[in-house]
Amino acid sequence: MSEKKIRPEDDGRDFANAAWSVPSYLLSGMILYGGAGWLLSKWTGVVAFTPIGLILGVALAVYLVYRKYGR
Amino acid sequence: MSTLTLLTAPEDKFTPPGLELFDLPPIIAGVTWFTKPVLLALLSSLIVIAFCWAAFAKPKLVPRGVQNVAEIGYTFVRDQVARPFLGKDADRWMGLLLSIFFMVWIWNLMGVIPVIQFPVASHIAFPVVLALSIYILKIYLGIKHQGPIGYFKNMMFPPGLPKPIYVLLAPIEFLSNLIIAPFTHAVRLFANMFAGHIILAFFSLVGFWFLFEKLTPLGAPLGVIGVVMTIAMTGFEMFIQFLQAFLFAMLAAMYIGNSLHAEH
Repeated sequence: MSEKKIRPEDDGRDFANAAWSVPSYLLSGMILYGGAGWLLSKWTGVVAFTPIGLILGVALAVYLVYRKYGR
Repeated sequence: MSTLTLLTAPEDKFTPPGLELFDLPPIIAGVTWFTKPVLLALLSSLIVIAFCWAAFAKPKLVPRGVQNVAEIGYTFVRDQVARPFLGKDADRWMGLLLSIFFMVWIWNLMGVIPVIQFPVASHIAFPVVLALSIYILKIYLGIKHQGPIGYFKNMMFPPGLPKPIYVLLAPIEFLSNLIIAPFTHAVRLFANMFAGHIILAFFSLVGFWFLFEKLTPLGAPLGVIGVVMTIAMTGFEMFIQFLQAFLFAMLAAMYIGNSLHAEH
């Protein structure tokens, strides 16, 4: 799965994969951790958890995209 | 049809078109499922079948006529859609990808063909069915080519990350690949066609209203702007229609490609 021989067509494939995966990663991060934060806010009454979760989600998604495609 | 009901609306002021544009009555009274978009979808299938039949049933070595036109489309889909994502597997998937591309394009073109003027994909059920078929195919191929465990492992645990971070990132991968991606696949096509149809209806209604229904010295220039904008937006919409058909087929190729070989 991670052999390091790069076929010529892989270059374009990786770029397009990255470009079209970014929106759904960002959305997923926000929904997942924003949602978790929202639940925490609901249970604990601390409002700050929702924005913290949202930002954490975006940060994680950006980090994931960076590590996957940005080397 | 709905434009007419709008124009005969009792109030004397301009009413912009809204959701009633998409609320079409059954063509045959009593057969509730058989509405205009269903008819257009069937018609589109027939057009694509007839077109491909005419072009590829008896292919000539030196293409002429319809075959010539179809081969331009084929080359485009192969070079821009299939090969970048599928590499050496591209030819095996050309049948599916070419059908999807032509099908979606004809669906969209129905939005600007005079008299017909309804983009099929502006009813979300149509893109959903296509996207769902690709989604099922993607999971089937992934499990077949990477194994039931390998597929989900490759998807959720991309190599080269520090171990503890997987706890946080694997859920994002899962949600992104299995829920958000197919959702956006369908919604992207739907929303573009939906919005485009409303924009065209709005500008042509502005032109019709201020030039024919309520012609006044002050309103006439507005009507002219409406007509000009209708023409300009029709051109723009035709570009978007092509682009969305291309994107839909391209994303299908991308999902298939990622199922055949894990990303690295």
